[in-house]
Amino acid sequence: MKDVKLVSKRFHLLNSHTLEVAKANGVYGDALKKAYDLESVEIIQIIKESGLRGKGGGGALAGEKWLLMPQESERENFLVVNCDESEPGTFKDRQIISKDPHLLIEGILITCRAIKAKHAYIYIRGEYKTFQDILQGAVDEAYEDGLLDSCDITIHRGAGAYICGEKSALLESMEGKRGHPRLKPKQKECEWFFDHPTLVNNVETIASIPHILQHGAEAYRSYGTTQSPGSLLFAMSGHVNKRGVYEAEFGTSMWEYIQHFGGGIKNGKKLKAVIPGGASTEVLNAGEVLNAKLDYESMKEMGSALGTGAMIVMDEDTNMVEALKNLLEFYHEESCGQCTPCREGTGWSNKLLAKILSGKGSIQDIDKLLEISDTMNGKTICVFAPALSSVINSFIGKFRDEFEAYNQPSAKGIQ
Amino acid sequence: MSLIKICVDGEFYEVQEGSLLIDLLIKIQAKVPYFCYHEALGADGNCRMCMVEIEGQKRPQIACDTPVKNGMVVHSQGEKLPIQKIRKDILELELINHPVDCPVCDQAGECSLQDYYMEYGLHNSQMYGLQKVTHKKHIDLGSNVMLDQERCVLCARCTRFTDKITHTHELGIVGRGDKAHISTMPNKKLTNPYAMNVVDLCPVGALTSKDFRFSQRVWFLESIESVCMSCAKNCSIYIDHNKLKYQDEKIYRFRPRKNLEVNGFFICDEGRLSYKNLLENPAKNTFSENAKEVFHHSIAKANKIAVLIDASLFNEEIEMILNFCKKINAQAYCPEHLYIDPSFEDDFLRSKYKVANIKTIQKFRIKNDMPKSFDLLLNFNHPASLDLQSPNIISFQTHNSDLQTLLTLPIATYVQNSGSVTNIDGITQYVPKALFSNDPTPTLKEWFKRLCL
Repeated sequence: MKDVKLVSKRFHLLNSHTLEVAKANGVYGDALKKAYDLESVEIIQIIKESGLRGKGGGGALAGEKWLLMPQESERENFLVVNCDESEPGTFKDRQIISKDPHLLIEGILITCRAIKAKHAYIYIRGEYKTFQDILQGAVDEAYEDGLLDSCDITIHRGAGAYICGEKSALLESMEGKRGHPRLKPKQKECEWFFDHPTLVNNVETIASIPHILQHGAEAYRSYGTTQSPGSLLFAMSGHVNKRGVYEAEFGTSMWEYIQHFGGGIKNGKKLKAVIPGGASTEVLNAGEVLNAKLDYESMKEMGSALGTGAMIVMDEDTNMVEALKNLLEFYHEESCGQCTPCREGTGWSNKLLAKILSGKGSIQDIDKLLEISDTMNGKTICVFAPALSSVINSFIGKFRDEFEAYNQPSAKGIQ
Repeated sequence: MSLIKICVDGEFYEVQEGSLLIDLLIKIQAKVPYFCYHEALGADGNCRMCMVEIEGQKRPQIACDTPVKNGMVVHSQGEKLPIQKIRKDILELELINHPVDCPVCDQAGECSLQDYYMEYGLHNSQMYGLQKVTHKKHIDLGSNVMLDQERCVLCARCTRFTDKITHTHELGIVGRGDKAHISTMPNKKLTNPYAMNVVDLCPVGALTSKDFRFSQRVWFLESIESVCMSCAKNCSIYIDHNKLKYQDEKIYRFRPRKNLEVNGFFICDEGRLSYKNLLENPAKNTFSENAKEVFHHSIAKANKIAVLIDASLFNEEIEMILNFCKKINAQAYCPEHLYIDPSFEDDFLRSKYKVANIKTIQKFRIKNDMPKSFDLLLNFNHPASLDLQSPNIISFQTHNSDLQTLLTLPIATYVQNSGSVTNIDGITQYVPKALFSNDPTPTLKEWFKRLCL
């Protein structure tokens, strides 16, 4: 398997989070110099040509998103870096901010130059206090070094809501309001922070920028597939021997990745299922995992999504009904409660599944669960409920016998 | 903005480009359920009930967040998409944690949730064996507003009202997911002079009026269009009243009536509660037997007659009195100082003139001071009459007072009378007679006829 280290190349260094080590190993070097030599539009052009895709889960083309930012604007432009990493199973952004925060700051400086912003905010998940301290230390160092003379960076700490990772809810939260997603605009436009044009990008997206600037779009495209160029910090958790975050290029075989980096399934057991990209993507069964390729298009073809590339691996002993219950509890807790299908649907589906698990359920309850899931799909303001809907559908669709087994007389304690 | 053509359910309509689809659907009375949308508050898109099918969109769209475009083809009840089923399913989600306590709920009969259940729902309960989410049932929010968090559908109309209309921000939503509920800040109350409008805004029984609740079922009430005469703004209202067998008519509440020229959608709380004193303590008829004789005799005897005209009388009545003044050569007065309360005025609806028809008084240039010397004073319900120490007063009044008079003639209040009023901005509204009493008090016009004036 090809060794790819575009973002994680300094992760292994001792004290990699300090300015001294970062500078000695190439941060704030060629990439930044090149960025200051180029015009804004030229930087955007390079990013567009590189085919860089947003790495927060959606996989939208970063260059296209940057082009939505007005170059001539009466109101100040802002960059907001989304570090509200709360997707279950996902822990890649925290690697960047704790192991190479200066890479992120360099990326921010280049991005701000491209979109003509003079102030960047990093919205960090409230629970990431330890990592925030490291990041704040790096920002302070950068200020002392004069790197941030022409561009400010402010770290904004979230209050612990999953939904604030949704970009418009994030901006609402930053504006001091409840973290509720906004209604979608009617045409493609940039985001708005206090009515200022704003670009919201994931940490890893921004951290990928310096490499592209330094080595050029073609060099980036030499990794990955045509439509999903480059690499991603894939993460692995669950029943594998070596859990962790390992960078790999797009298009890598999922099973090979699990074998190579994860050292195979724990205790020599068989694979049962993998949730491929954080909790909000359709579960894949063992057969599908063998054919799965880690890029946006292949995963979409399989009826799932690459999401954040964080794989939750489950072995043969996993109870899929209990696994779904775990997820439903999470979604029930985290629904923001703004719109009806999600507010009521997450709670109801959680209760219904509890009823099934207790052995008091029936086939009608399983069907009702699917019906609620259908009502939650495509009828809400944001994609929280549709994501949950696809999770429920895939779990019941692929492992229905396990759900039905709870309705058997033996499960109800009847001989 | 130009006019464009769109097609709804096979009919073509011309509408302003960029206006909201739901406004048109409401105007043409297409059956579209909604909780969160309100004309005064705009779209919020949280209830997801107003789903319609728009050709070219594979998913159902909410009409409240859809600006109309030229050539748009809308199927309000769905053609390819199962719109009715979608509405039914979303409504079911609204209901799973609802207490369904309609028999004891004051909103019953004017509740959107109840109406839509009959229209789309008719579900059987699926909650057997499952615990509903519980919240607090009766919270006194202050300003006569009671909150039942369990009945709430979280449409956020009330919070948007305090955010966008009164800018007082007392109400907010607390908690996430199905734990979300409406609340004020701890130990804070709802305190703004327009607070009770949230009761009208609430589409369900979550917010009810402490003043009205449990006093009458709404289907026993009759509504009549009227005008609030508490101040010179003349807000348009509905008077909800009824007449129980063998009893006199009773007013149960005032509700705001949409009138974009005058008050928009709301009224102030003081105006809303002004119905209370209206029929209390009516003036007693003391000399009804020989009233005509006393009246004419007093007028014939007097050399100098002063007339006090109240600014709460209708335009027609004021004109009639002024004509009468000319006939008997009397001077008309209307001192304004008793009406003015600068602390009452605000930049929304409330006017500093706490009387309805001051504009007409000013139009006729009626003297704005107290009558000094006179042989006889004819008082037409003016509050200033109480300040006058004179035995020679003939008074027409709606309410009982301590005024010593030669003759007191009771007149009907404005809800028992009809006429027109002109508000402080010069807008004239006609006020129809709302109450028909068993033993009606004569109006001023009827007294003039009786007294042969």
